Amino acid sequence: MTFEIDETLKRLSSRRGVKAVVILNSEGQAIRSTLDEELTKQYGQLISSLVQQARTTVATLDDQNDLTFLRVRTKKHEIMIAPDHEYLLIVVQNPQEAMQ
Amino acid sequence: MDRRKEELEKKRQKLAELRRAREERRAVLESQSNQTQSSGSSSSTNNKDRKAIDDLVALVLGERPSTPSAGGASDRGSDTGSEFTASRPASSNFGYSIPGTPVSESNGNRSSIISQPGAPATPVSSAAPRYVAELSEFQTAAVDIPPLEKVEYSKEIQTSEGSFDTPQKSEEEIRKEIMDEIEMLEKEREAELEEERKRAELEKVEEFQALSEDEKKLILASPEFLEFIDTSSKFVERALNETYDFMKDYTLGIDVDSDENSGKRVKFVCDFWDEKWSRNRSVTDVNWSTKYPELLVSSHNKNPATVNEPDGVALVWNLHLQDRPEFVFHSQSDVLSVMFSKFHPNYVIGGTYSGQIVLWDTRAKSLPVLKTPLSAGGHTHPVYSLEMVGTQNAHNLITGSTDGFVCSWQLDMLAQPQDYLELLHPSHNKTDEVSVTCLGFPDNETTTFWVGTEEGNVYQAGRYDQAGSKAGINQTDTYKGHYGSVTGLHFHPLYGSVDFSDLFLTCSVDWTVKLWRAKSASKTSSQPTNITPLYSFEHADDYVYDVKWSPSHPALFGSVDGNGQFDLWNLNADTEEPFVSTSVGSGRALNKLAWDKEGNKTAIGSSDGRVYVYDIGEIANPKQDDWHLLQKNVSEMITNQENPGTK
Repeated sequence: MTFEIDETLKRLSSRRGVKAVVILNSEGQAIRSTLDEELTKQYGQLISSLVQQARTTVATLDDQNDLTFLRVRTKKHEIMIAPDHEYLLIVVQNPQEAMQ
Repeated sequence: MDRRKEELEKKRQKLAELRRAREERRAVLESQSNQTQSSGSSSSTNNKDRKAIDDLVALVLGERPSTPSAGGASDRGSDTGSEFTASRPASSNFGYSIPGTPVSESNGNRSSIISQPGAPATPVSSAAPRYVAELSEFQTAAVDIPPLEKVEYSKEIQTSEGSFDTPQKSEEEIRKEIMDEIEMLEKEREAELEEERKRAELEKVEEFQALSEDEKKLILASPEFLEFIDTSSKFVERALNETYDFMKDYTLGIDVDSDENSGKRVKFVCDFWDEKWSRNRSVTDVNWSTKYPELLVSSHNKNPATVNEPDGVALVWNLHLQDRPEFVFHSQSDVLSVMFSKFHPNYVIGGTYSGQIVLWDTRAKSLPVLKTPLSAGGHTHPVYSLEMVGTQNAHNLITGSTDGFVCSWQLDMLAQPQDYLELLHPSHNKTDEVSVTCLGFPDNETTTFWVGTEEGNVYQAGRYDQAGSKAGINQTDTYKGHYGSVTGLHFHPLYGSVDFSDLFLTCSVDWTVKLWRAKSASKTSSQPTNITPLYSFEHADDYVYDVKWSPSHPALFGSVDGNGQFDLWNLNADTEEPFVSTSVGSGRALNKLAWDKEGNKTAIGSSDGRVYVYDIGEIANPKQDDWHLLQKNVSEMITNQENPGTK
């Protein structure tokens, strides 16, 4: 079981341009991460609150709507967040690198 | 013993004193209560009950006068009696039982209790014992049960009385009321928001703890986590795959790469390979989905190296998700042919080595949802050919196995075939049976089909008995041309201005691809005739494993052979040589070829387990006159055939 998860993570992180892969639970605590602990903690706190904000925004605007995917494009890279009810998958990639 | 007797005596004296004192006090109280009559009936009932209970106590006391333990008991009795009397005025609730409090008080206590005012003395004087009452401790809890509410309503008018009478409020008043309500709600909401904000701040301030190792392990093992990883990693991988940068700034100047001339080339798009499932297994069939143009399914036979894995595997690939299959389906025996159901977006059908037909559902897990039984009713030989015919509402699955059986099935009832047909050809030299290696239906035909056999002949067969021909192989016409077993048969798809649906291609292990014109089913010849191909394409150097017409260009078809060559032929351009010949992969034999719905891409299944996808590009786009050109060419071929030697 864990082997498959690790394999998936490895595959994801070995793709061209992918900087980091982090898996969090709904409270922002890291389950698996390719970053160091400090950074992971930061990501966890910040991104989970961001996801929460996004989720409430979507839900408030429309009752039946729900958040499925979040992509934050920045100058340096792109953060892709796949949220779930209980968990969060975060992948940070550098899109210019990936598209070459 | 003497001491004991002395003690007893003392106690008895004390008792007598107490009794006397009590009686006096009681007499006093009674006179008082008679005068005041404060609690009225309650006091009388009090007295009555008290009297009854006093009698009981007296009985108990009277019962055991002389033994030491009895002395103790009488002590206790008097104690409880005194306690009881003391508590009597205090508690006016008759729900309480005789207080069963432990009798651990000293004589001093007793005297203090007795000295409480207004405690009537218990008539401990022995009345004749009527019956023995056993006193025991028990505690009850007072429970307040509210009376059952009876809901009554009258069965006549149920609207409230006032609704008819109240005058219509003026609009302004109503508006005002609504505004007030809204204001109230808003105030409440704001208050709530304030609270939330405060709470959120508090939470942020809270210590942020990381998960312990054990917790992590727990989470990792849970099935929801696996599912989550599965789906979300698919999302991310597909998103990572996008090659177009939507934030591209065209105003900046960049070096323009020299555009590769793709005029006469097919471009390699990607290849699908999965470490776990494709290793050591060769691809036996490839099929594109009609519903989702980016999905294709490939079937694989067994991996001889691993024993524990399932023998047959069908993998559904997504063009946007190149690293791993979208779905993995298992089967107990090698899957030799696979297709998406044309009419159901979720079903994948496979024919296996054991003769079973399996049905997988993309919504379900990896094992087949339905399977045909391994019985004589279905196929008992490997099923190499699968076709779906009919329309959305009335469709059948036609399967052919190498023992000459052709069965038709209803997809929801795979327990037994709807119809089966044994193809026999009596004038065969050795056996009657016809070993079907491939099967083809002309477009829009559901009752007549053509089969390619192991001997190299192609026969026409009908599913049902019709006027003029019986069900089964048409004995008279033999399409004789190939010297080896026929590996692929494909009818020209029906479209365009000219109808070429009677043309079909076959390929075989004799290194050739042949073009035939199918004789109409109604025009069966009376005598056994051999029909010869219109044209034979002799370019290949190895067994040709598959040939398929392009669904968009009338004169285009592709063939794959055992050398790893993928040949694209254009009949309007050149019939001697393929238009484009590409070496696919590592030179391993290519087993199957499939065009996607639009005709822009081809998927080629190779014997090393990989599925290569090539983009055909501009070659696939037909021009206006392609149809007429082809018609001309075909008629030329026909005349050449009829008059051989005048080429």
